[in-house]
Amino acid sequence: MDTLLFNVIWAIPLLAVAISVPIPSTRIKAIKLLHIISGTVVMGIIGYLTYRVYTMGAEPADPKAFPLLLRFFTDIPWLSSINAHYTVGADGLNILLLFLTAAIVWTGMLVSWNIKGNQKIFFALIQILATSVYGVFMSIDLVLFFAFYEMEAICMYLMIAGYGSGKKDYGGKKLTLTLAFGSSMILATLFGIYFQSGLDTWNIAALSRITLPMNFQMWAFPLMFMGFAVSSSLFPFHFWSPDGHSAAPTAVSMLAAGVMMKMGAYGCLRVAMFLMPEAAKFWLPYVVALLIFNVVLGPFIAIRHKDLKYITAYSSISHLGLIFLGLAALTPVGLRGASLQMISHGFLTGLFFATIGMIYERTHTRDITQMGGIMRKLPFLGVGFVIAGFAGLGLPGFSGFIAESNIFIGAFQQDSTITRFVTILAILSITTTAVYILQTANRMLHGNMPAKYETLTDADLREKIVVVFLVLCLLIIGVCPGWIADMLDTSIAPIFDRIAAATATVVGG
Amino acid sequence: MNFTLPSFIIPDALLLLFPFIVIGSRLFCSYRSQIPWRIANIGFIAIFVLLNFIPLANNVGKFFICNWKIDDFGVLMREVLMLSAMLGMWLSKDYFEHGADGKPQMHQIAEFTGAIAFATFGGFTIVSACDMLTFFLGLEIATIPMYALTAWNKKDQLGSEAATKYIMMGSVATAFELFGFSYLYGFSGSIYFNDIRMAVEAGATHPLLWLSILFLFCGIGFKLTLFPFYTWAPDVYEGAPTPVTAVLSVTSKAAAIAFLVVLVFGPLAPVQEQIAPFIALLAGVTLFVGNLGALKQTRLRRFMAYSSIAQAGYIMIALLGPVEMARTAIIYYLFIYAVSNYLAFFIFGIIGHHREETFDSLRGLSQQNPALAIALAISMFSLAGIPPLAGFFGKFHLFFAGATTGHYALVAFAVLNNVIALYYYLQLIKSAWIDEPEDHLSPLRLTKRQRSIIVALSAAVVLLGVLPFLSNNIFGGFTF
Repeated sequence: MDTLLFNVIWAIPLLAVAISVPIPSTRIKAIKLLHIISGTVVMGIIGYLTYRVYTMGAEPADPKAFPLLLRFFTDIPWLSSINAHYTVGADGLNILLLFLTAAIVWTGMLVSWNIKGNQKIFFALIQILATSVYGVFMSIDLVLFFAFYEMEAICMYLMIAGYGSGKKDYGGKKLTLTLAFGSSMILATLFGIYFQSGLDTWNIAALSRITLPMNFQMWAFPLMFMGFAVSSSLFPFHFWSPDGHSAAPTAVSMLAAGVMMKMGAYGCLRVAMFLMPEAAKFWLPYVVALLIFNVVLGPFIAIRHKDLKYITAYSSISHLGLIFLGLAALTPVGLRGASLQMISHGFLTGLFFATIGMIYERTHTRDITQMGGIMRKLPFLGVGFVIAGFAGLGLPGFSGFIAESNIFIGAFQQDSTITRFVTILAILSITTTAVYILQTANRMLHGNMPAKYETLTDADLREKIVVVFLVLCLLIIGVCPGWIADMLDTSIAPIFDRIAAATATVVGG
Repeated sequence: MNFTLPSFIIPDALLLLFPFIVIGSRLFCSYRSQIPWRIANIGFIAIFVLLNFIPLANNVGKFFICNWKIDDFGVLMREVLMLSAMLGMWLSKDYFEHGADGKPQMHQIAEFTGAIAFATFGGFTIVSACDMLTFFLGLEIATIPMYALTAWNKKDQLGSEAATKYIMMGSVATAFELFGFSYLYGFSGSIYFNDIRMAVEAGATHPLLWLSILFLFCGIGFKLTLFPFYTWAPDVYEGAPTPVTAVLSVTSKAAAIAFLVVLVFGPLAPVQEQIAPFIALLAGVTLFVGNLGALKQTRLRRFMAYSSIAQAGYIMIALLGPVEMARTAIIYYLFIYAVSNYLAFFIFGIIGHHREETFDSLRGLSQQNPALAIALAISMFSLAGIPPLAGFFGKFHLFFAGATTGHYALVAFAVLNNVIALYYYLQLIKSAWIDEPEDHLSPLRLTKRQRSIIVALSAAVVLLGVLPFLSNNIFGGFTF
């Protein structure tokens, strides 16, 4: 029963789209309600399944998925010509990321209730995008994984270019093509993995039981890691993110920064590092050096920007850098911190973009120098924005603190000077983060209010639900992180075991 | 030799007979009569259905003093060609009712469908040939009707120019091929593929053999629009009537690639590994050039010409694989390519009936007719190879075949090229989805036939890749 529920997660959004097709565009309210109800149902299902994964902790996982501790494991032959299977399953990490996705999709749909343009198509595209992200976090088969991973491109471009603002075609193309560049690198390495393994399977669990040839790993790992890093906007592939986010409509920014950028980090962890741990050991110290840009310079760039979405985009870049710092630490604590940060930053950036979108809908500008004093008129949204900002700079009580402290501890445990050096820089860069958050909040929310803003109205019930929901998620993770950390620990253990074993091989050989 | 399968030859015989019936029916009915059109419909559908009844179980039927064989590859190729012929015929129907894109209305529908049928029969002949003579005949039967079709609008200057260009280029290509065949004959002393194969096995290093391979590839390079012989394609695609362009880009390409498959895995099979680097080079350069050429196009059919050049490069990758995998991947891809391409051409046809066939005419499509804009996006994303659309799975199989024999570098290059391809397909989608129309939009009228075909093709593009139905059927027929 649970397995069946798990398998319909990705089908429900598509079903909602299929049902909405015959409904005429004049009854748009019914269509939107349908989509939001379907989003709620998915979120409910995933919430229940998260609970199940938590309670199933002691039971042994499906042996076919060894060494991964996968629940709800399903394996059906799919395309026999290329030995691709429909293989899905979830451990703690997957199910939490799925919940994050469902939450962001749900709030995203609520936020875009009044979006301009053909709403019927927009909601259908959000649902298809949701399917693709659910699929990525569910699939254990590499072909299935890649198909879902690349599917995002369709929806992203159409949504940004069709419903965005500003340089929407430019931003959309930049985003889509850069992501396509990343996924083409991934696809090329996937072929390599398949043929080098000689197992005739695309199953991640099965592939992880063998060691890929070292000379193959040495060139395949950087290629694949960079491919995934593109979508996580790791330097030097970060350039799509500010333009893409600023051009995108609110819901798409939320999804792109909140969920899709996590797909890259998840892919690095679950595919690249898990399947090629030896090469990961060799290459990740170099990645740490690259992170200086993300973590240290990202906040500095954010200080200089006046556009709210650019500020948030650079803040995302720096937070994503922290995820990679956690991954590159290659310690259990670091990996746990990285996974926690994936989830925490998803909610955080969702809240950020949601409040920015709501403020933008009212002020019609995202330039912080044009705004001022709107706290008086928009107290609720202002507080929401400040909470997002504080959670972003890692205030204790919010999820960001837990995640970042884990990352920093984990990274410092790594016995390498450069990692420690970068870690110290990263910790110091929180100050820079505080600067731009406080500066933005100060300029936008306080001071003299332009006369034209006298008529602004504060958030309505729909918007309040979104903000309160996201803040609650941040608080829950921040106040009682224990159970989430437990779930993550069990699912990261096999990955870390493999990395730890890899060292032995290298040293011994 | 196996004579137990005479019924398998019924579709071939029907297809040969049936253009005569269609054209002959003109003797008995008036100029405006719809009867030839109806006969053509029934005939094409009947042949397609009959072909589908042939079970795929490693058939090896040989007929007529052993120069006509029917195997699984042949049957599936026949299905691709018939599908293309049917869709091409349905696409052309509207052009006989009113002109398009400033071109006059077309006439003589019976002869038109007859010519398509002949071209299709040429494709049948190529995949059935067991000797060079039949092989060459097939290639010519597949090509010559295309010359006539290209110039179907007698009063259209561009069309005549295109046809002239096509005939000139085509004849040169034919000459190259004949020359290659003559050397091959001189080298092996036989026209039968089996004998040639043995001769090639015995003397793989003979210079005559390599000279003949060079000429054969030059010849087929013209037909398949491979680098550096692709230059005719944009002009011909632009000048020919739209339905002919569609048929050219599918039937003609399918016939040409079938020619290569028969050649490379038939008589030249013993030296496949030696010519692999050559094929890889051709494939890589062709898809790169096609992609670069498409970047700056503003006219729809020129754009499709470059896009189809690039697709030819992608298909070539599969030729590097082991025989069964290459064949199946190519057929699978051709099915998907045919469906996606015809979907695009049906949409261009509807646009073209009312406006010029340029990117600018697509403007405002998403507001005027969202369903059409969605169908256009589906077809373009499929051609670009974005999952979950069929094009992705088609390309995946091509790359899979190429990577099986270790051509990672080429596969990686092709995969990276997909990014360039995605850019220009996005360019087209942008015109339809984002750009505001400049002035008043002329109305788009869809006939019932167009609407149902567009819906059917869109559904096919969305589902063919994801559902294992097509791929399992094709791949199930072969034993690996």
